[in-house]
Amino acid sequence: MADKDFALMAHLMRRAGFGAPYDELEARTAKGYEATVEELLHPETQPELERDIMMRYKTEWVSQAGLEGQQEEWTYRMINTKRPLEEKMALFWHGVLCTGHAKCEYPKQQQMEFDMFRFQGLGSFRELLQGLARDPAMVFYLDNCMSHKGAINENWGRELLELFSLGVGMDGKENYSEDDVKAAARAFTGWTVTSAIPRYPYGRYETRFIFDPNDHDNDEKTFQGETGNFNGQDIIDIIVKQPGAARFVARHLYNFFVADEPQVPAWKDTPPQDPEAIKMLEDEYFRSDYNIGSMLRVLFNSDFFKNSRFTKVKSPAETVVGTMRLVGDFTTPKPGMNALTLTIRYMGQDLLNPPTVEGWHTGKEWIDSGTLVERINFTADQVGNTSLPGVQAIINRLRAQGSTLSAEALVEGCLDNLGAYDITDETRSQLVELAKSEGEIKTSGPEFDQRVAQMLQSMVATTEYIFA
Amino acid sequence: MTTQISHVNLQYSHTIGRGEQFGPGFTYPIFVARGEDDLMYVLCRGTEYRPEGTRITVCTVAEDFVSIFARGVTQQGPHEYNMADGALVWPTGLAIDSQGNIYACDEWLNRISIYNKDGEFVGKWQENPGSGDGQLDRPAGMVFDQQDNLYIVDGGNHRVQKFTKDGKFLAQWGSLGDGDGQFNMPWGIAIDKQEDIYIADWRNDRIQKFDSDGNFLMKFGTTGSGEGQLNRPTGVAVDKEGIIYVADWMNDRLQVFDRDGSFLLLKTGDATVSKWGMDKLNANPEMWEERKRAHGLEREKDFWAPSGVTVDDQGRVFVVESTRNRVQVYQKQGATFLGIRL
Repeated sequence: MADKDFALMAHLMRRAGFGAPYDELEARTAKGYEATVEELLHPETQPELERDIMMRYKTEWVSQAGLEGQQEEWTYRMINTKRPLEEKMALFWHGVLCTGHAKCEYPKQQQMEFDMFRFQGLGSFRELLQGLARDPAMVFYLDNCMSHKGAINENWGRELLELFSLGVGMDGKENYSEDDVKAAARAFTGWTVTSAIPRYPYGRYETRFIFDPNDHDNDEKTFQGETGNFNGQDIIDIIVKQPGAARFVARHLYNFFVADEPQVPAWKDTPPQDPEAIKMLEDEYFRSDYNIGSMLRVLFNSDFFKNSRFTKVKSPAETVVGTMRLVGDFTTPKPGMNALTLTIRYMGQDLLNPPTVEGWHTGKEWIDSGTLVERINFTADQVGNTSLPGVQAIINRLRAQGSTLSAEALVEGCLDNLGAYDITDETRSQLVELAKSEGEIKTSGPEFDQRVAQMLQSMVATTEYIFA
Repeated sequence: MTTQISHVNLQYSHTIGRGEQFGPGFTYPIFVARGEDDLMYVLCRGTEYRPEGTRITVCTVAEDFVSIFARGVTQQGPHEYNMADGALVWPTGLAIDSQGNIYACDEWLNRISIYNKDGEFVGKWQENPGSGDGQLDRPAGMVFDQQDNLYIVDGGNHRVQKFTKDGKFLAQWGSLGDGDGQFNMPWGIAIDKQEDIYIADWRNDRIQKFDSDGNFLMKFGTTGSGEGQLNRPTGVAVDKEGIIYVADWMNDRLQVFDRDGSFLLLKTGDATVSKWGMDKLNANPEMWEERKRAHGLEREKDFWAPSGVTVDDQGRVFVVESTRNRVQVYQKQGATFLGIRL
C-alpha cells in the first residue's frame, strides 16, 4: 500500500495537473504538500515550454491555422508543461467559457483566448470576464458583433448570465430575469470586432476588439436591481458582486477539481452535494475579491479535497495526457501527435470544438459503450508497450525489489506506479489471481517485462481506473 | 588604398503561391531551390492531418504551375504518413546537383531521397541514423559545391557533414555549443563562389562562415530584434557578389548583410496577391468584397516566420513563408563600386 503522503500527492497532481510519474511524485512528496500547492498556484516560477523547438518541427504550430494541428499543439503542451495547473486552468475555462471552432474557424484566435485563460485563469474572476467580453473569438462566437443599438442580439448577454457567471438559479430561485438579459445585451452594444480578412489566398489574420460608441446604447438600464447608464464593464462589475456568481464559480471549481456534480442546468434545483465545501469557496471568493487562485488554495488544502480521491471520472484529455505523462512518450515533437489527439476526440472531447456553448457534459456522461472501449484500448496499448521509457521505469523499479516478487507485491507495486490507485477487494483478489496464474514471478529476464505490462493493462481496464 | 562600398537595394517583385493541398499552390512550404531556366522547386512540409500536402511543387518564377512529385502513393489516406521510398515525412532541405537531380532531406526519416529533373524517384541514401561519421540526426539544410559534393547540416548532431553525391562520407565539423565553430541546432546553409560555407546557427541566433574544410572564418548576429540581430535564423543565402541574406524567423523579416557580416538592410515584407491567389479570389468573388471591408488588409504584406531564403544568379531573392503558403520575390538592385572614395 502506498505511503499516505505519496497517495495524496498523486491525487493532487491528477487533479491540479495531468498526473505525474512515480519519480516526480516521490520528489514532490519530499518537498511537501502545501509547498507543491503553492508551486502549482504560481506557474510563473516554473520554466515555459520551448516553443521555438515545438514550432521548428511542427511548422503548422506557428500559424495555428488548422483545428487538428492546434489540438495537437495543446495536447503536446499538456503533456510537457512544467506548469500543470496553468494548462489545467486553460482546459477548465475552455469547458466553462466556451468558444467553438465550428463557428470561429480560426484556431489562432481561440488560442489567444486560451492564453488569456492560462495567464489570467488563476486571477480575478472579474478581470477574466472583462477580458472575455473583449475577446474577439467570444465576441464573434456569441454574436455580440451582431448586436446593435436599437436592434440587440441577446446571445452574449444571455449566455454571460446563464452559462458564464451566474447560472439560471440556485437554492430553487432564479438568478436573473429576462429583463436582466435584455439590459445586459443593451449594455454591450458597440462591443464588436474588426472585419476579418478572408481566408484566401494567404490564410486568416486575427481580428481585434473595438468599441463603437455610435452603436452603443447609452440609455438608462436596470440590471439586477441597479439602475444607471450601464455599459458592459458596469454589467460585469454588478454580476461579480452577486451571490450567484460566487456559487457559480464555486460549483464549477468543485465539479472540475473535487467531485462530479450534476450538469449546470440542474444547479437551480439541485443543491451541491457538499454545501459546506461550496460555502467555504464562496466565502473565499468574496474575501479574496473574486480571486480564483485563492479559492483553489482553500480547495486544495481542504479535507473535502483530500478525501475526494477517485470520485471523479477522468475526462478524455486527462485520460490521454495522463497516460502519456505516465509512459513518458511524446516528450519531443514527433509524428503520431495527430493520431494521439484524435484519440481524445474519439473519447468524446473535441478540443477547441465543444458541442455547444454549454461545453462538455462531464462525469459519467464521458462514458458510453463506444468511448469506454476507446479509453481502455488506448490506455492498455500504451501501458503494455514495454519499449516506452515510463513503462520501462516501472519495470525497473519493480525489478529492484528482489529476484522474485509475490503476486500481491506485483499488484501493489503496479498500483503504486500508476499513481497509488485504490481498488476494491474484489478487483484486488482478481488481479492477484491473475498474477499467480503464470507461476512464480521472477524479475530477471524479459518475461518479467511482459508480466508487468500485462498487469498494468489489466489495471487500466478496471472500473476504478476510469476515476481520478 | 582602395575603399569598397557595397550598396544594395532590394526591389519587391511579386508573390508566388496560395494555400493548396493539390495542384498550383503550397502546403506549409519550407524551402525553395532554383532549377535550370526559371524553374522553382518548392518543398512543402505539409501537416500530419493532411499528409497528402507534403510534396515538392514545381513552378516557374512567373508562377506557372509545372508539376508535383515526392508525394509517394497517390491514394494516401488522411492521418497517416507515407514512409515508402520517394515519399517525405518531415522534409527540410533541397539541393540540386550539376545534372539537375534533386536531393531532398527528411529530418524524421533521416533520409536523403533523390529525384531526377522530371521528379522521378531515382534512389536514396540508406537511412543511417546516429551520430557517427556519415550518420544523420535530423538533417536540415543542404547545398552542393561545384564538384557535386553535398554539405548537409546535421541539426540534431549540431554539425555539418560533407559527402560525395553518392553518399560517401568525406568530412564533418562542429559540436554542440556556442563557441566559434560550434552550433546549436543549425538549420540553413549556403555556399559562395569561393566555396566558403555559411550556416544559420539557429539556436545561437547567428550566422557562421567556414572555408570548405570547415575552418572557422567569421560570425555575425546576436540574439535580439535590433538591426543585425537575429531571432532563430532559419535560412541563409549568398549571392554572386557575396551579399548575405538571412531569413530571420522569429523577427518576421529578411535581413541583408555585407560580405564582412555588417548589416545592410532589412525587409519586413511586401506581399501582393499572387497570380494563383487571383485565380482563387476570382473563383470566390465574395471574397473580393470581404477584402474591401476587411480591417488591416495591409498586414497581408508582412512576412510571418520566413522559413527559408534562396538567391539565384540573376539576383532574385526568394523568401519562403510556410505560414502563408507563399514565396515573396525581390530583385537585387544596385552595383558594387570598387575604387577610391569619392
